[in-house]
Amino acid sequence: MLDVYIWFYTGVLLTILGGLATAIGPGVKDPIVRTLNTEIAAVGVSLIFLTYNHTIALVTYIAATAIITMILLRAIVRLEEVGAEL
Amino acid sequence: MSASVLVPSVVSPIVVSLFIPAVFTGLIVGLIGLMAIAYQKNDLSALILTDIVGVGMLILVAAVGTDLAEALILPGLVVELAEILAISEILLSREMRKTGKTAELIPLPVSLDMEIMTTAPAFMAIILIAYGAFLSGFTGGAVAGGGILFYVLSQRVRGVPTDMWEGLAGVSGIAWCLWLVGFLLFFVFPQYWLLALFLAAFGVFIKVAFKAGLIGVMGREEFNKKE
Repeated sequence: MLDVYIWFYTGVLLTILGGLATAIGPGVKDPIVRTLNTEIAAVGVSLIFLTYNHTIALVTYIAATAIITMILLRAIVRLEEVGAEL
Repeated sequence: MSASVLVPSVVSPIVVSLFIPAVFTGLIVGLIGLMAIAYQKNDLSALILTDIVGVGMLILVAAVGTDLAEALILPGLVVELAEILAISEILLSREMRKTGKTAELIPLPVSLDMEIMTTAPAFMAIILIAYGAFLSGFTGGAVAGGGILFYVLSQRVRGVPTDMWEGLAGVSGIAWCLWLVGFLLFFVFPQYWLLALFLAAFGVFIKVAFKAGLIGVMGREEFNKKE
């Protein structure tokens, strides 16, 4: 049978790795790379929700992550159009 | 360590055994995010890192592992979304004031001048809103909000009707009161639980659907600025 702990600890590992990658990962001077790195942590959290059977929370979280990524990319693009220092 | 905490017998042993690792994961991730924010000189990077802090908060809440956790995660998600939206707007308006330039409200790499945007938006919005009303509750609100958002995005080509957002914000507030009344009714008159359930479900439905009104209010500010 599939062991619950495998999913949980994979999620934990991905979340911590994603957090570190967003904070000090390679190429994070570029805000787009930083935004994309947050997706790793998002996948980790999704796995943790899956372990706990939080179905509605999981579905809503996937939608919210997509919208948050869109908001961040929009902010980056608009700031670059204005000519701010990034 | 967990022996000192009162754990109800309905909680499954797996959830109890995962509690301590989950709490520590949440704390570590939150700490990583906060440390990175502290060392950041760039405001945009700090905004992106708040996402990571939010992830740590979600894991802490999820560690409870019952329906209570699910009920607490949903408002947490909405608050995080609204927070990131608001802070990004503040950053943008500050930079625009500094440099004196303006950028497009919703920058897109392609022009949105598709046929479906001029012929179908009302139809699509009505179907999404009707299906959302059928679902009711939080999920229905999200579906109906998607319908409203699609309508606004497609009307953007022709100009968003700017007056109607005040009304939407007002209705949203009234729906919030409905939700509160329904919630109170559960405790004061438990025999009317069905009425209370429907008040709460449709109050939350309207409230979540009109979260899209936030974006409309932003659009109104933007258009006022241009004129």
